[in-house]
Amino acid sequence: MSFVEFADVCKTYHMGDVEVHAVAGMNFCVERGELVVIVGPSGAGKTTVLNMLGGMDSATSGTIMLDGIEVSALGEYELTQYRRHDIGFVFQFYNLVQNLTALENVELASQICADPLPAADVLAQVGLAHRMDNFPAQLSGGEQQRVAIARALAKNPKLLLCDEPTGALDYLTGKQILKLLQDTCRSTGKTVAIVTHNLAFTQIADRVIHVREGRADQVSTNPHPADALTVEW
Amino acid sequence: MRGLRATAFTKTILRSIRGSLGRFLAILGIVALGCGFFAGLLMSGPDMRAAANELYDGTNLYDLRLVSTLGFTEKDVERVRQTEGIAGIMPAISCDVMARLGKEQLAMRMSSLDVDAARDGEEQGASVVLSADGNYLNRVFLREGRWPQAADECVLTADKPVVDVGVGSSIEVLFGTVDLGDVLRERTFRVVGLVSASNYPYTGSFGSTTLGSGMIGQYAFVSPAAFVEDAPFTEIYLRVAGASAYESGSDAYQAVVDEVTDRLEQMTPALASARLGDVRAEAQDEVDEGREEYQTEKEKAQRELDDARRKLDDAKRELEDGERELADGWSEYEDGKAELDQKREEAEEQLADAERQLESGAAELDRSAAELERGAQQLGQGRKVFESGKAKLLEQLGAKDLQGAKKTLQGQREEAEQGIAGLEAAQGGAQRIVDGREALAQGRQEAEQGRAAWEAGRDQLLAGLAAQGMAVTSVGEACAALEQAIAQQQAAGAPEQMLAPLREALAQAQQLAEADERLSRGEEELDQAESELAEGERQLLAELAAQGIEAADASAAVEQLAQRSEQAHSGIAQIDEGLAGIERLESAQTELSQNAKAIEDGRRQIADGRAQLAAGREEFEEQRADAYRQLDEAQELLDDALRELEDGRRKLEDGRREYADGLVEYEDGKREADEELADAQRQLDDAQKKVDELELPDIYVLDRTKSEGAVTYHDDSLRIDSIARVFPFMFFLVSALVALTTMTRMVEDDRILIGTYKALGYSTSRIASKYLWYAGLASATGATLGILVLSQVLPFIITSSYSIVYTVPLHPLPLPIDPLIALASGGLGVGLTLVATWAAVVASLREVPATLMLPRAPASGKRILLERVGPVWRRLSFSWKVTCRNLFRYKRRLAMTVVGISGCTALLLVGFGLHDAIWDIIDGQYGPIIHYDTTVGLDDDATEIDVARVIDVLEGTGEVSGIERVQQENMQAGTDGNGPTLRVQVIIPRSASELGRSVTLRTRVGHEPIAFDESSVVVTEKIALKYGVVPGDEIVLFDQDTIGNIKGSGHRLKVSGVAENYVGNLVYVGREAWKAVDDAQPVFSTIHCSTTPGEEVRANLASMLRECEDVSTVVFSDETINLYRNMLSVVDLVVVLLIVSAGLLAFIVLYNLTNINVEERVREIASLKVLGFTKGEVYAYVYREIALLAVLGDVLGMALGTYLASFVITTAEVDYVMFGRTIHAPSYLYSFVITLVFVGVVMLLMRPKLDRVNMVESLKSVD
Repeated sequence: MSFVEFADVCKTYHMGDVEVHAVAGMNFCVERGELVVIVGPSGAGKTTVLNMLGGMDSATSGTIMLDGIEVSALGEYELTQYRRHDIGFVFQFYNLVQNLTALENVELASQICADPLPAADVLAQVGLAHRMDNFPAQLSGGEQQRVAIARALAKNPKLLLCDEPTGALDYLTGKQILKLLQDTCRSTGKTVAIVTHNLAFTQIADRVIHVREGRADQVSTNPHPADALTVEW
Repeated sequence: MRGLRATAFTKTILRSIRGSLGRFLAILGIVALGCGFFAGLLMSGPDMRAAANELYDGTNLYDLRLVSTLGFTEKDVERVRQTEGIAGIMPAISCDVMARLGKEQLAMRMSSLDVDAARDGEEQGASVVLSADGNYLNRVFLREGRWPQAADECVLTADKPVVDVGVGSSIEVLFGTVDLGDVLRERTFRVVGLVSASNYPYTGSFGSTTLGSGMIGQYAFVSPAAFVEDAPFTEIYLRVAGASAYESGSDAYQAVVDEVTDRLEQMTPALASARLGDVRAEAQDEVDEGREEYQTEKEKAQRELDDARRKLDDAKRELEDGERELADGWSEYEDGKAELDQKREEAEEQLADAERQLESGAAELDRSAAELERGAQQLGQGRKVFESGKAKLLEQLGAKDLQGAKKTLQGQREEAEQGIAGLEAAQGGAQRIVDGREALAQGRQEAEQGRAAWEAGRDQLLAGLAAQGMAVTSVGEACAALEQAIAQQQAAGAPEQMLAPLREALAQAQQLAEADERLSRGEEELDQAESELAEGERQLLAELAAQGIEAADASAAVEQLAQRSEQAHSGIAQIDEGLAGIERLESAQTELSQNAKAIEDGRRQIADGRAQLAAGREEFEEQRADAYRQLDEAQELLDDALRELEDGRRKLEDGRREYADGLVEYEDGKREADEELADAQRQLDDAQKKVDELELPDIYVLDRTKSEGAVTYHDDSLRIDSIARVFPFMFFLVSALVALTTMTRMVEDDRILIGTYKALGYSTSRIASKYLWYAGLASATGATLGILVLSQVLPFIITSSYSIVYTVPLHPLPLPIDPLIALASGGLGVGLTLVATWAAVVASLREVPATLMLPRAPASGKRILLERVGPVWRRLSFSWKVTCRNLFRYKRRLAMTVVGISGCTALLLVGFGLHDAIWDIIDGQYGPIIHYDTTVGLDDDATEIDVARVIDVLEGTGEVSGIERVQQENMQAGTDGNGPTLRVQVIIPRSASELGRSVTLRTRVGHEPIAFDESSVVVTEKIALKYGVVPGDEIVLFDQDTIGNIKGSGHRLKVSGVAENYVGNLVYVGREAWKAVDDAQPVFSTIHCSTTPGEEVRANLASMLRECEDVSTVVFSDETINLYRNMLSVVDLVVVLLIVSAGLLAFIVLYNLTNINVEERVREIASLKVLGFTKGEVYAYVYREIALLAVLGDVLGMALGTYLASFVITTAEVDYVMFGRTIHAPSYLYSFVITLVFVGVVMLLMRPKLDRVNMVESLKSVD
């Protein structure tokens, strides 16, 4: 049994009278410790997949399993607990609390979960030991994203979900973030899932899931993923 | 094109409204509240005044009232009627009386009512009474029953019902400010209806009077017939032409009225002197009439007196005649009496002589008879002695007669002599025996002597023999021995010489033996003789015994026999004596017989004498009776004469007494008549003096500002005005802040849009106009709605509240909306909102489009002061840190929330504080300050004795304690003669030290006791506050007249203390200090005391006190307290109003704040949710900030509320009471907690909005 399993997962939105099938029968598996890249064009349903996997959204039908938990069957409260203890999120726009310093933003997450990592260590790990007491507004975009990653990691989640983590960043910074994510996966053995429209990212992945029109069009594994810094796009 | 654009623009606005309805409604709501409150409160006062005006005009209430100390007549009314500017005139009579209504006794104003006009009047609605009669002023509404008709019918007010008094009951008038005899025909009135009069709009007091507690507690109308015929009008009511065109109390109204007032005041001197002339003429007529009457009466009395005098003199003369006649009669009588006495004496003398002779004859006869009887008696005695002697003798002798006795005695004599001979023989025999015995004894003695001598001889012999050696023991032996010895000797041959002694001895011995023989013989003979004697004796004794003589021996027999013979001898002698006696008896018998015959003769002679004497006496008695008869007849004649004389004397004395009585009566009558006449003369003189001294009457022209009810109502409406000017300020401030924050947020939301518009070339003002339109629309709608609703609701609630104490009817809904006020408040509300909006927009609009197009750099986090305190800060959780930083990051929101919430708390605190303040009046006054619960007031003219009697009654019930006496005066206080004055009750305790029993004098702050002695002057706090008086300052007390105007220049007193007090204005003055006001010793005719609680006890006490004539008032504080409670419940409605508005305020502010906070932090909230924050954690994250702000506002609200409450309390206060000045702790607690409850409710209501924040949607977009 795989670490993550999607079995016939569907997600239908009702926009007025129109039914939109964002995900229509998604099937794939991910193994523990893999760096997974979910790739596809805009509107293919990749973010929906991520949201459902992260417990932010629920599937209309089908089964989502994570480490033996049937996520698709969880109620609202259990989903909250699931997000709280098992999942780390990294967003395109960082979503830091403006009124808290870098360290406090990390603590915000670590304070609520059961087995957190020391906030300062995690920040140091992402290379921000010197900016810990700065407010988000005082940090660059890359730095803010690092804080966001640190915040996700500090929770010591089972799965790190990243939605276009480099989307708002320039090329170099993006690469560094990507590198950070890859390193994190390698060094901590955490399963990391990155959603992107950038096919270049597939080079660094252990497993690549191509999503098209709400389905996993193609799932491939990459026996020799490239180093993030070498990737060009 | 422009229209199209305008339409597009309008659409944008409409769309933005729809998109942010909450925000729109917040502005709308707060502006509605602010404007509505402002307008509503501002209109309340005018609405109240309008309602009053409507009532006043509708009932044709007087504009001016003329009052004269001498009253008015029809002539005066005519004089006044001529004055220019008078539209209606109505004279009336009224008087203030103490009346008994059911269980109560209170001051009542009785006024005349134009009954015909009243009956013809037609009530229209609550405020109008139509009447064709323009001179029917002060029209009255009939609520129940009918109008009064007869002189003893009345109508009472329906506005202040008295327990148990209604249509059909009777009321009693006790006394009044003037002598009721001059005013009222009746004292008891039947209540036939209940009315309401616009003249008395204030039920708290229908006016002031000098009676009772000083307040008129009830009013009544009666028909003019109830007043005596010539009672003058006491007042003239006037309507001023044109005055009704203006609102009562307004300047324009006052100006119109003042014009006529001036005119009337100019004519008052003339009016006064005319009135004086009338009154004086009338009075002079009365005096003259009196004088005439006096003269006739005087003459009549003199006539009557003269008649009486004449009659008395006649009587005196008659008496003197009678006296003379009586004296003559007496002397005649005396003469007759002397003659009779003389005759009687003579007759008596003659009769006495005759009687004396008779008496001496009788006496002699009696003496002889007595002597005779004495002889007869002696004879009887002698016979008796003889008979008894004879009988004794015969009895002794056992004989029948003397002869027999003689014979017996002789026989006895012989017998006795024989006995004596026998006795003597026996005596001889006995004597011989005695003698023989004697001889025997002698012989014996000799024999014994012989024997003794023999024995001596023998012993000598024997002793001699023994000496010779011969042992012998008896004579025989001796003889034998001696013979032998002789024989021997002889034999032996011894010489005879030798033999001689022996022979001698032998002879002796032989002699002795012979002697012995002789002696023995003699003794034998003696014994024989003795036995012979004894035999003889025995025989004798036996003989004697046979004769009856017992003797032991012969000698005794001798003696006895001798005796016997002696006895026999004396017996003989006796017998001889007896014989001699018998002889004597026989001679006595003969003598007795002779004497008895002589006595019989004597007796016969005496009886003859007696018969002769009796005949003589009979004759004498006849003669005497005759003499006496004659004398008695004469005496009878004399006695008759005496009786007649006595009668005459008695009659004369009666006559004399009658005469004396008559004289005294006459004198008394004369004195009385003189006194009465003198009195009448004095009264006439007094009356004349009064007429001469009659002064010009004081005539007052009083407008409505002098009517207590109208003024109180007007003042209350002005109080609302002043409150209205303060309260809404807070609402406006809050609405400005709400608009500012809301619009700021809106502009920030629209940042990119604004940039786009700018980039498209829209002008700044064009862009800003969207927001101004938005805010304008919201605020204008709010203002309109708020003003429309609250200008109805607020005045309605306020006037309804006041209708508890005022009879002014509610203005019928809808209430008029004052356009000026509406525009002003609406303009203010909208204007403030627009200014705030402009301020919010203008900052963003200054930026260049490029910046605007970019997402706005998130407001940077800022370190706050608290972070410098490491230990504290480190301990805070991240969400607390966020909260703290946020609090200082959004200053406008902080201001809005704090102001809004503090406003809410302040409103609540004002509400509760007002409630406290008002209930403190009662709770603070009755108990802590006033300890008595019963006040008994006596008439002004009550004396010490009257008061003592009432106290006795009180003490007698056993239900009353703590009795204290004070003098109570209704006066006015001020600081000088010109400034405004305050009605006060001056209380002079009889003893300063006793005051503490019924009242505690203390300062309000700190409750320090205030010393009170006989020279103290303590004023209550309200007076001190009004005039800024502190201990040491002076206060002026003014006397007042019956109408309530100041008299004189007042009395200055130095204030020694300021005491806590809530109800009424009191001045406590010590006795010494009071002397500066009034030298006269007060009676202390008001009694304060405590009565056992209980309805029945009080009712009993009240009825007992009513029996006391002098009691004018009996007031139980409980009743006063209930009255106040009723009046003060007005406040509760206001409190509810304040709580509701406070709730609205809190809701709008918090709703808006929460709304803004949530909208602004949607991403933050979504992030938290993604991070796995539970719902509760998310609420806490957001609400903590709001809660903190709310608590901050709440705390500030306490301070604001305290200030505001004190403003409202001092503004709303009326002259008569002082509200409590402290807000109670529970009120703070309630306000604090209720505010927090509002906050909690808003938070609960806003939870769904937080729940609706969608993670996915929120995180997608850029902010």
